[in-house]
Order: sequence, then structure tokens, then C-alpha cells
Amino acid sequence: MDIYLPIAELSVNAPLLVALGALVGFISGLFGIGGGFLMTPVLVFLGIPPAVAVASMSNHVAASSMSSVAAYGRRGGVDFRMGGVLAAGGAAGSVAGVEIFRWLRLLGQADLAVALSYLIFLGIIGGLMLSESVGAIVRRRRGAPSPRPRDRRPPWLYGLPLKLKFPRSRLYISVIPPVALGVFVGLLSAIMGVGGGFILVPAMIYVLRMPAAVVVGTSLFQIIITTAITGVLQAGRNQTVDIVLATLLLVGGVIGAQLGARASSRFRAEELRAVLAFIVLLVGLRMGLGLLVRPHEAFVLMSGAGG
Amino acid sequence: MITTTLPPPAISAALTETQVRVNSGFRGTRIVLYGAIFDPGARASDVVVIVRGPEQPIRIARKAKVGPLWVNSRPVVFQGAPGFYIAASNRPLDEIAGFGVLRRMGAGVDHLPINAPAEQRIETRYGVRDMVVSSLGADYLDWRRAVVRLKEKSGLYKVDEHGVRFVDTGLFRAEIALPAEAPIGQYQAQIVLFQAGQPVSERLRTLSVEKVGAERSLYLWAHRGPWSYGLAAMAFALAAGWGASSAFRRD
Repeated sequence: MDIYLPIAELSVNAPLLVALGALVGFISGLFGIGGGFLMTPVLVFLGIPPAVAVASMSNHVAASSMSSVAAYGRRGGVDFRMGGVLAAGGAAGSVAGVEIFRWLRLLGQADLAVALSYLIFLGIIGGLMLSESVGAIVRRRRGAPSPRPRDRRPPWLYGLPLKLKFPRSRLYISVIPPVALGVFVGLLSAIMGVGGGFILVPAMIYVLRMPAAVVVGTSLFQIIITTAITGVLQAGRNQTVDIVLATLLLVGGVIGAQLGARASSRFRAEELRAVLAFIVLLVGLRMGLGLLVRPHEAFVLMSGAGG
Repeated sequence: MITTTLPPPAISAALTETQVRVNSGFRGTRIVLYGAIFDPGARASDVVVIVRGPEQPIRIARKAKVGPLWVNSRPVVFQGAPGFYIAASNRPLDEIAGFGVLRRMGAGVDHLPINAPAEQRIETRYGVRDMVVSSLGADYLDWRRAVVRLKEKSGLYKVDEHGVRFVDTGLFRAEIALPAEAPIGQYQAQIVLFQAGQPVSERLRTLSVEKVGAERSLYLWAHRGPWSYGLAAMAFALAAGWGASSAFRRD
């Protein structure tokens, strides 16, 4: 059954998109991630214009984060104050990101920016995750104790002004690092069509040193706010949000996410992380490969002159 | 040649459909055109049907190697290119008429009036400075061919050498395939009768491709009220996410 997407202006196979949403939803529920980094490349691969894919993903990521944040909220797993500070930075980042993306699109360099961001960020994050999780698996096999986490927080985190208390995270730190982190993630969400959880979560654990229990919930809370702003800006400035596309993905996505979340308890955390690291690396390399290989067709048509 | 006792030859044609409605199930369509030739002299006749979609400027870039990476050059804008183009005929165009005639009529993708100004023009367009609007360099033909090749690949440009079929003496039929990616707007079908390599009679028919129903409303809303559309789309997405979480909570 094909369905015509009114903004992308092409017809797609609806069951295929729902199934794709379910698969990515399953993976995101399994690993506790947003899944935008997986979905956007697949959509582009299916022939959806990159600008539409990136913009519509904001709506999809906002909706799927919304569907999982409630569970964390009930468990007290959301630090709303920290989330708000991150989101303030995220809002600024997404405003700038949407403008940068618009400018790149007019220059014809949007594809390059998207591919390079995927190659660099997914490559780094995937590589770090893989070495960390493989190390953990090897240690467990040998029966060696896991190394004591370094408890010493980076001193620069405390030397900065504008300190604020974050009771739920048991932190008293300057707002500058979380705001800067928010700006960075907001930029990525506009350019890569991702929520940014794959950057936020490690940064909150290793840089801000937030307790693990509030990390995922808080990152989801910040992702909802940032992607909501990004989505509205993409629609307002670029007219590239296809709500039919976002809805199709969402239908499969919420079901897949619930199934994935249930399945996740059957696996060990470090094994899950190792598999996720592989997926992250693979997607990053696949996106970057196009930049390194001689193109089959030297010319490329850019979508509509104005929009 | 034409004897004064006979009336001049004439062509007549009609589209079976003059309005293509793009709705949620739209996957492209086929438009059938019927026509007749009135020629008491019964001279050898050829029919060429040219369908042109609304004009759309084309932005095209060429990939070039910069360091280890393949990146897009600055996009070049071609003016005057139709968003959809098909030239259907009963035999290859170059057998029907000569180069000059075909060029004047813009018949065939090689003769498409894709205009490139004589010299390179750099303008500020869409808020971007230093955009190459068109350059007529040594490799201009490569660019032009690339435009046609890429459009042909997506089914938007086509030359169909046997797209017009004579079903009976003086009666012909043509079928035009309109892909789902075909642009929205007014199309013009030009039906030309050729005799001895010259166009002798011509008819114009118009065709409109428009979105209808929910697709139309969504498209218009997204373009005319982008901010309210964006807010509503996001509110809908958030509500759907919240609804899903409460639905699964009860399970």
C-alpha cells in the first residue's frame, strides 16, 4: 500500500515505513536511545530528500521520547532543573543549527555536513563505546573486578562561576558546562536529525558526573524540549516537516520501543553496549563512505530552488 | 505542392483526462491522448506530442575531489527548464524532421530550451552571495547532459520514439506516463502534425496536476502558515507520544 507524502512530494510504501519505525523503535527501546541516528540515514537511503528526513525526524524523536519519558518521570528519574538548564542551551543551539542548515542547503553543502557529522560523531562515540564495553566483557570473563570509577570530578567544573544547586543530581556546579553541552546537542539535532542522546548520556555520566539513575530520564526530557523547538523551526523556516512521514514512523516506533524495552532485561548491559557500539560505528562509516568513494554519478540535482 | 482544391491538412486531439488529482494513494498515472488527422490528400503524416510541466529552475552540483573527500561544487542554476517533459512520436524524431525544425520547436531533450546565459553571472540569490547562476564554460554540455540524464532517471524527462500509435487511418493514440514525483501545476500538451519534415498543423491542450483532499490542505498549510503548521505538527507528535505511553502503561 503506497501513500503519498505531501511535503516530500513522493509516494512511499506505508507498511515498509511502519516496519522500519518498529525496527528502529525496538532497537531504541532495547538500548535506551532515541534512534534518530539510525532512522535518518535509512530514510535518506529510501529516497526521502535529506532536508525532509532531518526535519521530520525532530517530530518523530520528540514523540518517541515523550512516550518513554513518562515511565522515568514516575520513578523520579528526571532532574527537571538540570534538564531545563540543558534545554535552555539546546534551544539556542537548535535556533543556530536550523539557520546553519538552511544556509548549507542553499550552498549545496547540506549533504556534506550531514555525512561528515555522522562520520565524525558516530565514529568517535562508537569507537569509545566499543572499547569500553569490550573491556568490560573481557574483565568479566576473566573474573577481574571492574576498575573503581574515578570519583574525582574535573576541577574546571567547580572553578566556573554561576553555580547552581541540582538537588536531584546531588550536584552543585556552574551552569556553564550543561548550557554548553545543550547548545552542542541542539546544533547536532538540527543538522543530523537526531535527538543527541548518544552524546548527552555519556557526557552527563563522564563530564557532569550525574547519578546513573537520573541520566536517561533527564536526557529524554531535554531531548523533547530541544527537538520540539527544532521541529517547529524547521517547519517555520524551511517548510520541510512532513507530518505524514513522522506519523507513519511513529506508529511502528512506539510499539517497537515497548517491545524493545521489555526485551532489554534479557541481556547483559555491557553486551548490549557492545552491540550498540557496532551499530553506531557501522552507520557512521556507511554515511561517511559516500564521501570517500568515487561517485558513480558525478552530478547531483539539488531539491527545489527555494524550498 | 498543396493543390488549391484540397483543404489544408489539420490535426485534432483530446486528452481523456484534463485534471490529475494527487491524493494519498497517488502513485503516478497514465494520461491517454486521442487524436485524428484530417487530410483529404492522404499524404504521409507524422505526429509528435510534447507535454511540458510547469517551469522549475534546476539546481545542480558536480562532485569534485577535495583532499580525500568527494564534495559538491557550488550549485549551478539552469533557468527555463520544464519540471516535466516528454516528447512522444510515431517514429524517431530525427527521421521526422531536421535539426533546425526540432530545435525551433524544442522537440526532444537535446533541444530543450534550458537556458544558460552567454556568460557567467554571479548573483546573490536566496540570501546566498556568490552563487553561480549559470556558466557557459567548456564543459557546459556536460552539465546540460547531466541535467537531462538525471531527470530521465527519475522519469521526469522522456523521449518516447514509439509513444504515438496509429490505431486506424488518420486516428492516433498516445500514452503519457506521469510519475508520482511529477510537479504540481499546469501542463501543456502540444500535438503537432508533420508532413515532409515540416510542421503543418498544431493543437494545444492543457492539463492540470493538483493535490486534492488532505494532501492539498497539509501542503498549503505547511507553505502558507508554516509556523502554525509547525506548532500543530509538534503538538500532535507530542500528544501521540504521550498517548502511546499511557496506552502501554495500562497493559
